[in-house]
Amino acid sequence: MNYTLQYSVVLQQLPYLLGGALVTLQVAFLSFWLGAVIGLFGAVGKLKGNRLIRGLINAYVVFFTNTPALVQIFFLFYALPDVGILLDPMTAVVIGMTVNTGAYLTEILRGGILSVRRAEIETAEVLGMSHLQSLRYVILPHIAKTLFAPLSNFFVWLVLGSSMAAVFGVEELTGRAINISTANLRTIETFSVVALIYIALTVIASAALALVGRWCFRVTARIF
Amino acid sequence: MPLLEVKNLAASYGALTVLQNVNLSIEKGEVVSLIGSSGSGKSTLLRVLMGLLKPNAGEVRIDGEKVDYGSRSSLKSIRDRMAIVFQQYNLFQNMDVLKNVTIAPVEIKKRPRADVEREAKAILDRVGLSAKLKSYPDQLSGGQQQRVAIARALTLRPEILLLDEVTAALDPELVNEVLDTVRELAAEGITMLIVSHEMGFVREVSTRVVMMDKGQIVESGTPKEIFENPREPRTSAFVSKILRH
Ligand SMILES: Nc1ncnc2c1ncn2[C@@H]1O[C@H](COP(=O)(O)OP(=O)(O)OP(=O)(O)O)[C@@H](O)[C@H]1O
Ligand SMILES: [Mg+2]
Repeated sequence: MNYTLQYSVVLQQLPYLLGGALVTLQVAFLSFWLGAVIGLFGAVGKLKGNRLIRGLINAYVVFFTNTPALVQIFFLFYALPDVGILLDPMTAVVIGMTVNTGAYLTEILRGGILSVRRAEIETAEVLGMSHLQSLRYVILPHIAKTLFAPLSNFFVWLVLGSSMAAVFGVEELTGRAINISTANLRTIETFSVVALIYIALTVIASAALALVGRWCFRVTARIF
Repeated sequence: MPLLEVKNLAASYGALTVLQNVNLSIEKGEVVSLIGSSGSGKSTLLRVLMGLLKPNAGEVRIDGEKVDYGSRSSLKSIRDRMAIVFQQYNLFQNMDVLKNVTIAPVEIKKRPRADVEREAKAILDRVGLSAKLKSYPDQLSGGQQQRVAIARALTLRPEILLLDEVTAALDPELVNEVLDTVRELAAEGITMLIVSHEMGFVREVSTRVVMMDKGQIVESGTPKEIFENPREPRTSAFVSKILRH
């Protein structure tokens, strides 16, 4: 074998790849926060809702946590146009990942709510707080603190998982890597650089999240 | 007119009847202590008063005004007028001391933050915690946490303060710092309903002592009457048992 590694062609494309990394972060960020809103409603609904609501939420969670996200997005992308709903790739991916994230976060957040000490909730009540106020001032800060590590991990997992968007032609990091390597035929070089960018993204995201956790929620996690 | 009046109150946990035919009235400025053996329903009575457990029968009046435990606005109004401190202090773990004390008056009752903070700092100073405003509950001793809980209740400016065994979870050497705080409140004329197993303290601080047994009030009188001349055999049995320690 006399294949010589040539990184210069890839490095010339670094700005293009970094632009893709930004799209990757956008997809992960949007899916995470939109999914968190769904997850919060899901968790509260599962704890407080009537049988019908609990049943619907359970069906949602079971379905979306037991099928691959990729399959779910394929469905959105290729089946919905048949009923007249056309989605551009980015929207389809974000919706798919959001719905998927919402299902996982329903379960994670439900556990978080259950872990709030009953006494703190009663105290909120006798201090005159409504359910919504106790959610805002007591339950959510508790969840943010106790679930900070698993939620951060989940975000990192979304950063990596968003690479499947490439399958649908979204030009995020992996998508752009595919574009480059099909043009320059330097697959090894391209993907090793992309791997490094992914590592940098997740390390930076983890460190930034750890700092946010430390400053805002007194989470005493180590940064590395 | 009594500040708090309880008539024929009954309550249960599911099928278990815990309070029956409870009658009690408290005048403004009184310090009433509830005593009685474990499981007699003392905490339950306070929980019912605060609306944490719905009564099955009877009525509660504050200043003559009947409380409707099924109505949100009525619940809101009793929680404006009464405050409770629990045995396990129950501070919010995610808030520092000052936030714990000011959150309800500022965010719930919408009083101006600057006023509330000034008042809270004065109250925290009075309970000896002015150096701990920025500490979190897990950085405080049990006695300190309990004094924060009392300060939090006081900052609500309640007309009646309910204290449920506020020293029971504390190490012996921390008990007195909390009792001293309560003694001062009593001296200031704050109306209180206290559950306590500290008989020396009950005797000294109470204007009236109420003995409960099996969910009923069996006797009520001045500390002297209850501790020296109880009319009821159940009271004398309880008092002599607990004073022997
Ligand atoms: N959450 C609950 N669910 C079911 N039963 C309860 C609950 N809380 C208390 N009880 C029962 O109600 C009865 C009265 O309890 P309560 O806590 O009012 O007693 P207490 O006089 O405060 O006792 P202690 O001195 O031990 O605090 C007891 O029989 C107890 O087992
Ligand atoms: Mg009790």
